[in-house]
Amino acid sequence: MRIRISHETRYHYDSAPKGIIQTLRLTPRNHDGQYVIGWRIEVSEDCRLDPHEDAFGNIVHDFTVDGPLQDLRVVVEGEVETDSTHGVVHGAVERFPPSLYLRETALTRADGAIAEFARGSRPSPTSEPLEVLHNLMERLRSEVVYDTDPTHVGTTAAEAFALRRGVCQDLTHIFIAAARSLGTPARYIGGYFHRLDGVVQQEAGHAWAEAFVPELGWVAFDPANGICATDAHVRVALGLDYLGAAPVRGTRYGGSGEHLAVAVHVDQTAHQMQS
Amino acid sequence: MLSRTADNIYWLARYVERAEYLARILEATQRLTALPLAYTGSTNEWESAVATAGCTGAFYKTYAEANEDTVTDFLAFSTVNPSSIRSCLEIARANARAVRTALTTEMWDVINGTWLDLKRFGSGPFTREELAQFLRWVQEESLRFDGSAYRTMLRNDAYWFSRLGLLIERADNTARILDVKYHLLLPPQQHVGGPLDYFQWAAILRSVSALTSYRWVYRESLKPWLVADLLILNDQMPRSLASCYENLVRFLDLIGRAYGRQGPPQRLARAIRTRLENSRMEDIFQKGVHEFIGDFIADNNRLGSAIAEQYLT
Repeated sequence: MRIRISHETRYHYDSAPKGIIQTLRLTPRNHDGQYVIGWRIEVSEDCRLDPHEDAFGNIVHDFTVDGPLQDLRVVVEGEVETDSTHGVVHGAVERFPPSLYLRETALTRADGAIAEFARGSRPSPTSEPLEVLHNLMERLRSEVVYDTDPTHVGTTAAEAFALRRGVCQDLTHIFIAAARSLGTPARYIGGYFHRLDGVVQQEAGHAWAEAFVPELGWVAFDPANGICATDAHVRVALGLDYLGAAPVRGTRYGGSGEHLAVAVHVDQTAHQMQS
Repeated sequence: MLSRTADNIYWLARYVERAEYLARILEATQRLTALPLAYTGSTNEWESAVATAGCTGAFYKTYAEANEDTVTDFLAFSTVNPSSIRSCLEIARANARAVRTALTTEMWDVINGTWLDLKRFGSGPFTREELAQFLRWVQEESLRFDGSAYRTMLRNDAYWFSRLGLLIERADNTARILDVKYHLLLPPQQHVGGPLDYFQWAAILRSVSALTSYRWVYRESLKPWLVADLLILNDQMPRSLASCYENLVRFLDLIGRAYGRQGPPQRLARAIRTRLENSRMEDIFQKGVHEFIGDFIADNNRLGSAIAEQYLT
């Protein structure tokens, strides 16, 4: 399908900072089943947007804005054409061998509870890895309730699992921690999701995981929706966890009273006949 | 639009581009063979020219040896070879005549004028200078045709089909140049050649009018891995594979939207473009330039067939 995306991040400061530096991972790349037709980033202040690639192959834009400034607005707009690949990722940029994605990070450390939960999905050491991961995703979805309240951006997988509550970011972290504890390389994917219930206005982008299945390759699992990635998913950035794939990371010099508002608009453009 | 009309326009563009390409190859070969033997090494440049035109089999059915006379006769003036410059211009004009109403006056004037002027060159020139003049003339006529299309055609499906033909042919041509000379385009670690290879690389770049562009982009002396990068991955360079596919995807998208229908050609073009976009020169060298280019030529032909099946039949 042809998906149109508009992602606006708005900062307001009660007391203006002297300067802001940000790193944006907001530009999707092409691979099998995903083609970017047009993409544009706009920053409300005059600045230079320097594009480059990070270690994972994500397209990264850096910019610096000199203050004092009260408001900053970053808008990303574009159109992407997607096809279903049944969740398997082909033709994408792979900078590292899969074993790198077994690395443990603070946000995705598997504590005893997660490790035990993961083992519950693998009845025997010879179970099919793909089945194990599907089972893990389904059990995770029923075990953890989607709740935006109790967790925040810095919540670790262990903390979220203990609460049995979280948002897509937390579910993804738990899934990754569980998969890694079973010896399956897994990574964090940030992107956009075109909702099936027709809701077009969203509060944030979407997050899901990819796990490496031998002989198949990287397979995308969306624990928040309980499905493998479809043509409704637009893959933007990948990392070991949220920090590596975060859409916006930055720092400011001075200033206080930061208010952040995010608006994401994902819908389908006019339907086209496929042959 | 009738698929036959689209077919004529598509092939008109392809044959004009092919004629220009052949003229460039012959000019580059002329230049290389004018140098002392010590500068160019031991390859038979005229044989390379035939290989670059993709006509080796047909050539050796008619001629025993590849030298200046036989190759220029075969590639430029032969009425027997369907891919000689003369044949290309004649077929192009025949295609143009069939769709005369789809072309603007300027375009028809150029292609018809070229065909009429072709007669005065007879069966071939007698001197090297006349040959050089002929080749220059072919390139200029081709530029005039392309320019008139760009400047006067309505931006509708007729225009897009002519661009498709031009781009597919151009991608094929650049790939063939690289394929024949791949043994010269080595990565830094394997580079064993000497200063004499300079003339070969310069010849490759000149044949795609990129000698000055190279210096503009890389600001370095000629290095073979950068030559390969310029012609494969750099989308600033209009004759590079990346640039051809960037435009192919765009025009196929426009055609798909105009007809309300997308299909295998659009998907295939995007897949090829994605592969080029996501490649880096180190990966291509690791796989092997020859293999990479061979795969690319096969994919490009597949795209041509897909377009023909979807729109031109």
